[in-house]
Amino acid sequence: MSALPQLIHYLPTMHRPLTATPVLRVLVADDIAASRNHLCDLLHGLGHQAQGVASGSEAIEQVRVQAPDVILLDLLMPGMDGFEATQRIREMMTDRWLPVIVTSSLEGEEHFIHALSNGADDYLARPISPGLLQAKLRHYAKVLGLQSRLAAMAQRQRAIYDSILDAVITFDDAGLIEESNPAAERLFSCKDGQLAGQLVEAAIGAPLPELLVRHELPLRRADGSVFPADLALSDWSEQGRVQHTLLIRDLTERRHVERMKDEFLATVSHELRTPLTSIRGALGLLASGSAGTLPKAAVPLTEVAKRNAERLSHLIDDILDLTKLEGNQMVLHLRLARLDVLLREAITTNQGYAQRAGVTLAADLPEGCPQVRVDGERFLQVMANLLSNAVKHSASGDTVVVSLDWTVGHVRVNVRDRGPGIDPRFRGRMFEKFSQADGTDRRAKGGTGLGLYISRMLIERMGGLLSVDSVPGEGATFRVELARDDAGATVWTPWVLHIDNDLDSRRRLANWLSPLCRVEGVPDLQQAQGLVSQTSVPIIIADPRAQGAAEEFCLSLKRLASAGPVILYSDGVDQSFVDHMGLKWLRKSHASCEELLATVRSAIIKAGRQESP
Amino acid sequence: MRSLQRVMCVEDDPDIRMILEFSLATVGGYDVCMCAGGQLAIDQAAAFKPDLVLLDVMMPGLTGPQTLAALRSQPGMTGVPVVFLTAKAMPDEVEELLQYGATGVIVKPFDPVTLPVDIRIYWEHGGGRRID
Repeated sequence: MSALPQLIHYLPTMHRPLTATPVLRVLVADDIAASRNHLCDLLHGLGHQAQGVASGSEAIEQVRVQAPDVILLDLLMPGMDGFEATQRIREMMTDRWLPVIVTSSLEGEEHFIHALSNGADDYLARPISPGLLQAKLRHYAKVLGLQSRLAAMAQRQRAIYDSILDAVITFDDAGLIEESNPAAERLFSCKDGQLAGQLVEAAIGAPLPELLVRHELPLRRADGSVFPADLALSDWSEQGRVQHTLLIRDLTERRHVERMKDEFLATVSHELRTPLTSIRGALGLLASGSAGTLPKAAVPLTEVAKRNAERLSHLIDDILDLTKLEGNQMVLHLRLARLDVLLREAITTNQGYAQRAGVTLAADLPEGCPQVRVDGERFLQVMANLLSNAVKHSASGDTVVVSLDWTVGHVRVNVRDRGPGIDPRFRGRMFEKFSQADGTDRRAKGGTGLGLYISRMLIERMGGLLSVDSVPGEGATFRVELARDDAGATVWTPWVLHIDNDLDSRRRLANWLSPLCRVEGVPDLQQAQGLVSQTSVPIIIADPRAQGAAEEFCLSLKRLASAGPVILYSDGVDQSFVDHMGLKWLRKSHASCEELLATVRSAIIKAGRQESP
Repeated sequence: MRSLQRVMCVEDDPDIRMILEFSLATVGGYDVCMCAGGQLAIDQAAAFKPDLVLLDVMMPGLTGPQTLAALRSQPGMTGVPVVFLTAKAMPDEVEELLQYGATGVIVKPFDPVTLPVDIRIYWEHGGGRRID
């Protein structure tokens, strides 16, 4: 009945769209020509490509050669029947899935059940219903599309995994390496050895417990050399087995660059300061008349040169301060001090500058100011900045007032000028780097645009706050707030209890928070309990990692804090857990020193309010 | 008590040395022995018999602290006050410098007009105060 040739050759394999209903390439195996051709016609009618073969062995051959998408296989054929062909196909096809739909006109369902348990995916009873055939093919087209998309995604990820420069190693709870990427093999694997199957401890030279909690560790390359490494660990479980995937970044290069930068800055600062010392010295001597009286016209010229040499010195100081502050290398020497004494010194030091601008510096410093903990030199630096700022923005004849007041918890310094005030549009940016109200201001008033930024960072490192109030047209008031440090006073002294299994992490946090308050670091809850008493409740910062069940651990923290603040500082929890426990959370790997200081400072202020009468 | 008279000054940079000499001799009126390096200071100390030594920290050859140690080992130099001159870049190191046994630290850039007075204060009062 059909004029179609027995074999219809497929079009060459071409790119097939994944989303539109795709054209499937269907192989039809049936020994009876009439029914085979009928089925092929039916498939063409549905828009698919079809190829017919007359036996099981031909079907196997075509699967090998043509790689069809779906096969329709008659169960009863002479020679190799459908059952055997199904089994063979299953054995052959290991790299992809080929749906096998068996067909038969036999009564009953036993043979279909037998075929399905032998590896067939589906069945159709003859005579084949075109509607059912269409529906089934549409279903298989969808599944095959999904499958090929997954395969493409896996391939893409594999390509990334194989080509990234960071080493990736996956190991089980016992430390046995299951998989590693080429970068890991390059770093850790001996010439012909493979990492898979080795113990991770031996392969990379660090103890397993450390690998699970630390973010930075020295590791050992295959050649025996040791290098600093940045570690990121993710834990996941497959069928109840915990697996750890460790991403390792070699920090050698970064460390090298950091060291070079530090050395470069130290050299630059020395090399710039040495000639400046001579220039400033010579100009100072000239201006003072020590080298003889200057001609009248030379006096203002010498002043200009001297002033600008000083400006250059300040710029170098600012840039070095900035580098140190941002690199966390600034060491502050916090000592108990009376701010009224420091403020008088600041006013005396800056009086000359103010006088030259025709501005009076006035002090309103009441007796009995409580002590605060500051780095005196750095505090004076901040005051010099605030005072010169106030003078710069004052008119000749104005007065800048420095005043001092205090509350139960804080001491506050106010520097008030009667200048034009601060444009509200600039308010939000004024404590940022290189910010001045506008470019013309920088030239008119001098300065680097770094002063307020450095001042704010310095005050924050001392655990204080620098803020500003201003009404445009009526001047500005800069405020420095510092926590009182009253030895023996009844006010609550803030302190931080840090519970973390990782020693490095404890050290870093203690270092960061040391300008703000006392920090006690302990590895676990048991040791923490010994430090907390009824009268002295700390701010608790903790990492639930390696502390047993996280939820139970957090509940114990809350009991220990007795309504005081608890902050999780960890990479081992997620947002939903933190929300569920009702705790504050900072990511260890993301939170900067500033963020941590800000969070603890606000916790102190909050806790202080609860405690004070 | 007799007043400060003889100042030995060690500084490797010739221009700064010139400023220092002008400041100490012309402005301050001291008898000054200028040395371009630590070894020269060690060689001349016994003959010059300084009342006070002003010593740069970062120098090629012998550093300031090394020079200080060598000077201290000479007879007659054990009690002579030594004041360091150091760049402002390293305020954290001031305490460390005082621990070497220095009487004080003067930070660069210094003011040559007030320098003679500053070192006299160290001479009169002694003991680890720092003058900026």
